Amino acid sequence: MNINTIVSLSVNGIAMGMIYALMAMGLILLIRAIGVMNFAQGDLLMFGAFVTCALTVDLKLPLWIMIPLALISFAVIGVIFMFTVYWPLKDATYPTATVISTMGAAMALKEIATLIWGSLPRSMPPLMKNPKTGKAAVLNLFGIKLQWQFVLTIIVGAVLIWLVFVLFEKLYAGRMMQAAAQDKYAAELLGIPTILTTAATYIIVVIMVSTGGYMIAPIFMVSNTLGSLQLRAFAGVVIGGLGNIKGAIIGSLIIGLVESFSTIQFSQYKDAVVFIVLIAMLLVRPQGLFGEKVADKA
Amino acid sequence: MLKITDLHAYYGPIEALKGINVHVEAGKITCLIGSNGAGKTTLLNAISGTIKRTGSIIVEGKGEIIDKHSRFIARRGIIHVPEGRHIFPGLTVRENLETGTVNWHGFFGRQPYDKELKEVYKLFPRLEERKNQLGWSLSGGEQQMLAIGRAMMARPAVLMLDEPSMGLAPLVVQELFEKIVEINKQQGIPILLVEQNARLALEISHYAYIIDGGSVKLEGSSSELKNDPRVIEAYLGKFAKKN
Ligand SMILES: Nc1ncnc2c1ncn2[C@@H]1O[C@H](COP(=O)(O)OP(=O)(O)O)[C@@H](O)[C@H]1O
Ligand SMILES: [Mg+2]
Repeated sequence: MNINTIVSLSVNGIAMGMIYALMAMGLILLIRAIGVMNFAQGDLLMFGAFVTCALTVDLKLPLWIMIPLALISFAVIGVIFMFTVYWPLKDATYPTATVISTMGAAMALKEIATLIWGSLPRSMPPLMKNPKTGKAAVLNLFGIKLQWQFVLTIIVGAVLIWLVFVLFEKLYAGRMMQAAAQDKYAAELLGIPTILTTAATYIIVVIMVSTGGYMIAPIFMVSNTLGSLQLRAFAGVVIGGLGNIKGAIIGSLIIGLVESFSTIQFSQYKDAVVFIVLIAMLLVRPQGLFGEKVADKA
Repeated sequence: MLKITDLHAYYGPIEALKGINVHVEAGKITCLIGSNGAGKTTLLNAISGTIKRTGSIIVEGKGEIIDKHSRFIARRGIIHVPEGRHIFPGLTVRENLETGTVNWHGFFGRQPYDKELKEVYKLFPRLEERKNQLGWSLSGGEQQMLAIGRAMMARPAVLMLDEPSMGLAPLVVQELFEKIVEINKQQGIPILLVEQNARLALEISHYAYIIDGGSVKLEGSSSELKNDPRVIEAYLGKFAKKN
């Protein structure tokens, strides 16, 4: 294996890891804010890929209109998701009801996507094309050839994650959101609008996940099976240590890298390799790489 | 300051408050005494709007709040420091204090709150020493100080304290109650104090209500109730007799 292959496999792996990290971070934000594991995370990603594909391919919108329109759609999807999947059941005596409801939402999202866009996979042009050939642009880094789409996925993913950290740590509203997630009753007594903090969490999560869908759409085909990628995000969360955001990001990147490097030897078994790593991890260090610390923030 | 008339509250079919009349006077400390399960916490939750209730709660100069959401009640400066402190465990002491400003500050607010912060640190110097420590790592007494400090950040018009002495060592309780009196005396903030420690509560309050089974059984000035044989027998016990 030469340096060329190592670098390009790493870049591909980290790019996929970023996608899983976006989903994983969203999972933990929701668990913290409302205490619910969201099993529709992967299908929200799938839906985001379809929405952006429709805006780009069907409506042929230029990027500078497409991006704000997509962000608005994601925010609206987030709010609709909150008020249909979570809100009606939030006071249910049986707390698992909201979790089951996310599984139902996953199916509903798949069916809605099929109804609107059909069941055939659609293709999405890459963000950067080679102006001469019209194919995906390639970045030539000291003789190492890298797909621009992967490089951009890493950049976009990292920027999104960084922005969410800044929101929670540096902004007043973000600290109010943290407070509401940690103790809803105390937050309400102080006058923190908890309905707003919950809605904001859903909006942020759907934007993160759907943007992930947009970035990988050109790498895979856009189809209603994209939702299965959420298993990788779950694996990332478990490896990082349930409930720890930094751990989940690192866990997701590890999953992406393992998956990428396993293609050298056993391309068709890469799913198996990912889950063997996960099982090994659970046997050796069940609390995950970073365990769970009460002291951990955001 | 707060006039509560015929207040009812229910948990499902159970009537937890059966028509309570309580008056929190401006500038005074009013206390609620009662055994476990009497309905004291329920009464505070009914005032702060975190449970369903009927009747009337009038805030002097600001009108009826019985039909208002907890958010609007907090905005009117009615601040409830809950039983068990409920500080935010993953926020630092300073960030916990900051959350107290949201009722006058707004969700995105950017106004300075240095003045409030300075006053809270002056009241509880321990909080300034611990300002970068996470909430969960504080001792019980420090957590109670933080809970009260956080309420002071909210520019309270009325402060409602639910069992601030719970689980604290006598010396710490002593210190804490001195601060509560100081808040009332120096800033003139009316306080509605819920306590199981009846002796202490009657010591520092001006007026008291004895609550049992969801209704007011007895009321009167604290100095009067301190010497009432019924109160001595039921709530003050051995200690009162020793005096
Ligand atoms: N969430 C609840 N659901 C049902 N009953 C409750 C609930 N909270 C309190 N109660 C009941 O209401 C009554 C008053 O409780 P509470 O106000 O907590 O008493 P106190 O604060 O005086 O100890 C008790 O009988 C208690 O069992
Ligand atoms: Mg109580």
